[in-house]
Amino acid sequence: MKFTTLITILLLTVSGLSAQTLTGREIAQKVKDRPDGDTRSSEMTMKLINKRGRMRERKVVSYSMDYGKNMKDKKTLMFFQYPGDVKGTGFLTWDYDEIGKDDDKWLYLPAMKKTRRISGSSAKKDYFMGTDFTYDDMGSRNIDEDDHKLLREEEVDGHKCWVLESTSKDSRDIYSKKVSWVRQDCDVSVKVEYYDKMNKLHRVLVLSDIEKVEGFWIAKKMDMKNVQTNHETIITIANPKYNIPLEESTFTVAKLEKGAL
Amino acid sequence: MTKYINIRIQFRTITTTKVGLLLPLLLLLFNAVSAQEDIKFKFSGFADTYHAVRSKSPNDFMSSRSRLRTEFEANTGNTYLFASLNSVYNSLDEDQTKIELREAFFQYTKDNWDVKLGKQIVVWGVADGLRITDIVSPMDYSEFLARDYDDIRIPVNAFRLKYVKSSYNLEVIFVPVSEFFVLPYDSENPWSVANSYVMPFRITTDDTPDKTIRNSEFGGRFSFYLSGIDFSVAALHSWNKMPVFETRYSENKDTLLLNANYERFDMLGMDFSLPVSKFVLRGEVAQYFNELQEVKNDKKVKKNTSNFLVGVDWYPGNDWTVMAQYYHRLINNYDDNMSSDKNTAYATLSVAKKLLRSTLNLKAYAYIDVVNKSSFTRFTADYSLTDQIHVMAGYDWFQGDKGMFATYKDNSEYWVKAKFSF
Repeated sequence: MKFTTLITILLLTVSGLSAQTLTGREIAQKVKDRPDGDTRSSEMTMKLINKRGRMRERKVVSYSMDYGKNMKDKKTLMFFQYPGDVKGTGFLTWDYDEIGKDDDKWLYLPAMKKTRRISGSSAKKDYFMGTDFTYDDMGSRNIDEDDHKLLREEEVDGHKCWVLESTSKDSRDIYSKKVSWVRQDCDVSVKVEYYDKMNKLHRVLVLSDIEKVEGFWIAKKMDMKNVQTNHETIITIANPKYNIPLEESTFTVAKLEKGAL
Repeated sequence: MTKYINIRIQFRTITTTKVGLLLPLLLLLFNAVSAQEDIKFKFSGFADTYHAVRSKSPNDFMSSRSRLRTEFEANTGNTYLFASLNSVYNSLDEDQTKIELREAFFQYTKDNWDVKLGKQIVVWGVADGLRITDIVSPMDYSEFLARDYDDIRIPVNAFRLKYVKSSYNLEVIFVPVSEFFVLPYDSENPWSVANSYVMPFRITTDDTPDKTIRNSEFGGRFSFYLSGIDFSVAALHSWNKMPVFETRYSENKDTLLLNANYERFDMLGMDFSLPVSKFVLRGEVAQYFNELQEVKNDKKVKKNTSNFLVGVDWYPGNDWTVMAQYYHRLINNYDDNMSSDKNTAYATLSVAKKLLRSTLNLKAYAYIDVVNKSSFTRFTADYSLTDQIHVMAGYDWFQGDKGMFATYKDNSEYWVKAKFSF
């Protein structure tokens, strides 16, 4: 075999191998880019369970749409439906993918009949409505807010997964790093471990009831457990819909104050 | 003390007959528009019981009442109906025991247009607890500020038309018959505004403006909701909602005669909200043109006044919220013969913290009269016993020797409340 032919074959083999081994960032990008329609709606039930087994419940209906350059920004409207004391409370978010650009957020309080603008930066790290999910967990996050590293591949419940370590670059985050198990067949995480600033395991998120709805993969159950306090939040998603007719004029303060679409 | 009458004589309480007529009319209108569409009905509300005891001797009850609020909604998407009813039993004041239609309105949305008709609470501006451009719905001071804020606001019959786009909306409002402040004068009511009068008095009720179309209120608001800032401009042709009293003495000088006056004025204002990192800066300014200041010897003194407010909300994290405001009012072209102060200044400070996974809310809210150095502070602890039941307790603290809050300096009180929401 001629020397040039041998070199060509070797180069092709090497490049072929590289294409199959994704970087951590590429895997994180795949998860972020997983198709979920341009618009969507769902009903979320959140069960909050303390260490004594006592349960409280929250119910929220949510609408969102992608918009902006490259459709990376997101507008979301959430209406709280239960319990009675928060019923009618509305939350409007314009979520920006650009790092460093604060989200725009408004909160409607039905008792005051008033909408107020709230800080887009500080609330992210607080827990959402007393659950084990932060506002940051509930919103979307630019993949470059973390450094991503592929640790290994592993099989979970018969599905081949990437095990991805993501280390936060933001000192305000409540976690130092998280380790995600991402199913390779559908780019959905099945488990995420969150580590606190002391690198101790803090929270564990298990996603299940993963299925295709209207052609889009979704985890319909998310179980977040704070292993340090033994408090648990289970989010169940019902009635997910995709590519529903929504316009940007839906995501306005006027609609927020109306309490429904 | 001479017996007197409540100036408003329950203007805002609608008799059972009128409630009976209004609701079916709204339902007929609703059905006419939504005949072909599926209607979703919702019925909700709450029951609460509230009791307050003066912290000073004689430790008498300042308030003792129970209430059932029922709310009804019907929604097809384009059409929406809302009605709420308050059924109140008040152990201390039988005038306050009543069934009251609180709000009842109908809303229709088509493309970018939104119309809202009926009895509704109108809230403008960005100020908390202070009114600068937010002057359409007045306040019920039957228990001063020691009530839930949504109970203090008085709904008005209004026609509101909005043109809504994603980054702005334009609203016009028409109020056929204005509503005015409800003030307690009953000597039995510890919140009576006449507590500071040392001699017998009699209020001769000057008429609120005649209910004619010429006396209607109208105005508009242009609001922008943009990335990084909200701002609005507003204008209203209105009335002073708080009565301005002319005081005289009776012929034999043993009784103070008070005559309430209402005059037209115009408001032009603007407001903004600007989030900056963990803060939200708020500002509001309004010029009132020809606002009635006082009435002396039948002469009505009207002046322009400048009103402005600056506020900052701080969200430091860990479920803390801190909010502070400063409000200033300046009478333009002030006349030294006037009895009103040229400058009025108030500040508010609110500190709140959520604990126990947001089941326990602690809050302190203070109103401070900067000029007269007096204040009113409400301390609240609110615990969610279950998803339906909240139990609350608190202390209302009045202090100072001058100004509005000094009128109630002996009214500091402990209070408890329980609420069941459904």
